[in-house]
Amino acid sequence: MYLFANATIYIGLAIAIYSLLIMTLGISVKNQKMVNSGKGGLIALLVCTSLAMLSMFYLLATSQFQYEYVSDYTSSELPVIYKLTALWAGNAGSLLLWTFFLTLYIAMIAFSRKMKGNPMVPYISSILLANAVFFFFILGFVAKPFVLLDQVPLEGKGLNPMLQNPGMIIHPVTLYLGYVGLAIPFAFAMAALLLKNVDDFWIKMTRRWTIIAWLFLSLGNIFGGQWAYVELGWGGYWAWDPVENASFMPWLTATAFLHSVMIQERKNMLKIWNISLIIVSYALTLFGTFLVRSGVLTSVHAFANSNLGLYFLIFMAIATILALYVLMSRYNLLKRSAGEFQSFVSKESSFLVNNLLLVGAAFAVFWGTVFPLVSEAVRGTKVTVGLPFFNKVEAPILLSMMFVMAVCPLLAWQRSTVKNLKKNFMIPAILAVVAMVLMVVLGITKAWAVIGYGVIALLLVTHFLEFYRGVKARRKMTKESPLVALYRLMIRNRRRYGGYIVHLGIAFITMGIIGSQNYDVETMKTVPLGGSIELKDYRLNYERLDQKREGINDIVYADVTVFRNGKRIGTFQPEKVFYGNWEQPSSEVAIISSIKEDLYIVLSAWENDGKATFVVKINPMMNWMWFGSFMIVIGALFAVWNGKYGNVTPRYTGVRKEVS
Amino acid sequence: MKNKFYVGLLVLAFIFQGSFLGVEAKEFDYKSPEFKAVAQQFACTCGCGQDHYECDPNTCNLTTEFKADLVDMMNKGWDKDKIREYYVNIYGEEILTSPEKKGFSLTAWVLPFAALGGAGAGLYFVIRKWVKRRGPEETDMITQNPEEEVESEILSSIIDEERKKYL
Repeated sequence: MYLFANATIYIGLAIAIYSLLIMTLGISVKNQKMVNSGKGGLIALLVCTSLAMLSMFYLLATSQFQYEYVSDYTSSELPVIYKLTALWAGNAGSLLLWTFFLTLYIAMIAFSRKMKGNPMVPYISSILLANAVFFFFILGFVAKPFVLLDQVPLEGKGLNPMLQNPGMIIHPVTLYLGYVGLAIPFAFAMAALLLKNVDDFWIKMTRRWTIIAWLFLSLGNIFGGQWAYVELGWGGYWAWDPVENASFMPWLTATAFLHSVMIQERKNMLKIWNISLIIVSYALTLFGTFLVRSGVLTSVHAFANSNLGLYFLIFMAIATILALYVLMSRYNLLKRSAGEFQSFVSKESSFLVNNLLLVGAAFAVFWGTVFPLVSEAVRGTKVTVGLPFFNKVEAPILLSMMFVMAVCPLLAWQRSTVKNLKKNFMIPAILAVVAMVLMVVLGITKAWAVIGYGVIALLLVTHFLEFYRGVKARRKMTKESPLVALYRLMIRNRRRYGGYIVHLGIAFITMGIIGSQNYDVETMKTVPLGGSIELKDYRLNYERLDQKREGINDIVYADVTVFRNGKRIGTFQPEKVFYGNWEQPSSEVAIISSIKEDLYIVLSAWENDGKATFVVKINPMMNWMWFGSFMIVIGALFAVWNGKYGNVTPRYTGVRKEVS
Repeated sequence: MKNKFYVGLLVLAFIFQGSFLGVEAKEFDYKSPEFKAVAQQFACTCGCGQDHYECDPNTCNLTTEFKADLVDMMNKGWDKDKIREYYVNIYGEEILTSPEKKGFSLTAWVLPFAALGGAGAGLYFVIRKWVKRRGPEETDMITQNPEEEVESEILSSIIDEERKKYL
């Protein structure tokens, strides 16, 4: 098994190098046979990574503790599902997963029906193969997944209990799918440049890949937040930790890219900008990995520190420099087709402002994340840049972003006149102001909340109007019933309406964020048995403290009966778990969820006389966030769904057609 | 009159102190908004990566004492700025969870907005250039209303649909 598992890695490396060489050679001498041989290599590569993954799954599931990775991240009593998901608990395993996704994506592109006969394929494959070579090199020589220990331990060290949560099963997978996914539009862009195709063909071909990568990246962040919320017992979901920032930055730039490509499609402009954005997004995914794995910054995401980060940094630097070189060498071609704008106020301009804000937000995150390093380099003081900084800096930028999002649907392409603006904006603006006044009257007085919710009210109205107007216009021509008209309207313009659904999802998430950040209430109290804690409308009666044993873990739990406005809701059990094979205990919180708010109960400590300390928190509007996340998924899937209408794959019309 | 004022102040101080003693005797709520405002400023150095408000005293010994010191200072009537100053004087800026808004650290706060402002100005000039490129004679072209835009889009999609049906 040892030989077999390692062979999958080293043979994979050899095949990756071979395929890369033969394919680039095939491209340069215009030899289809060589390219085909390289393509065959792609399948062999996928087979290698699949076998490596299967080997690792097998070793983990059967608790083969003679392997370092298995003994480091699992133990024999671990449920099988967590034994398997321990594959992405450590450096080597998670990079193996990354490599597997990469080879899967390459094979999917190279052999996709739509890409048949497309001369971009060898270029795209080569670029992605270069990535694969790097990852195989790392797996082969830096973070080796299949290393045997000198002595076979009787028991493994076990999986960090924090990672034993359904959220953790899916969070890394989605995040990696997003990270790897962003390499695809990058490779398409580079291939298009190398082939001197400066039209928007590559954008159209890669649109779905970009949206899918974006969706996975969003999901990765959302699942991460959800996991933090239920598992860490801290009541928050986003801490602006360097690692979270690392995945948020490419999300912001990819979002900017998804919007700015529309300008290129419509007006044939912003070509250099779009390519730069995709280079930056791709580079940021590598930069994130560098941050996570190098230990240069203090982070709660404790990956074992190693020199792995350095390799990523070097690879990122090489990839970025090469990409910029390609971009510069095609600069004149890209510059040639300069377009024009009709007016200052138009949908085009609003997209540019959107890009400015998104990239600005990404820059602010980047600057805050690296500032400790900058400060240390400049004056020797390593300052901490934490949550208060990011909240203060990002809030105004992202709120402006929401405003642009609210206004954009009502702006016309080409040009909006003052008359149009007045006509379109009067009602939404009045409604938003009325909503804000109503909020103040109802007792919402915090400035951020009033402004934030006001902007969201505007957004909801403008988006509703957008749907309403579409349905009305369609009915005028087809006389369909409103629902049929809405359905047909949407499926015939999936990207637009899918995008609007995503916007609504973002609006719900923002409402949740504003509510939970501005109106959360918290208390920490020590009460005797039979005592109670009151917080806002809730009364918590502490009734029992007991202990139980589950497997090798000891669990201390409290029975707490919760009343809201005097009405009994039920009895809940916040727990503290002491693990048989892990030093740190963890809190299993009790969450009582409703549309309005979450009641979050943590059993913090207890004494021999039965007195217990509880942290009780009310987090308003948390479910709005999860609902918004759900809408994002629906919207993105709706946009990429291969329906009968739209999403027509354009035919390649590029300049060179030698090998494909 | 002056004496009366001083006596009044003394009485006030006494009452004030009494109230603090009362708080101390009761139980301090480490999750109160007042404590949050103070404790959130300081990064815990136990390696947990959290601030002293979030850091769990059950798993981190360091924060227990730190929290108690903070409460003492709050009882003395120190506000959050004074407490921050006190700790920065002892430990330097490293103890804070966000950089100070002075000296070199000010760049952390200012640069994102400066960059945004600069880029915004740049964007303004770029759009102006693009608009100008059109030439003045064309700017009076018929403008399209979003409503008409949606209608024409729908119309073309219906035509497209019919075309697919018959061709």
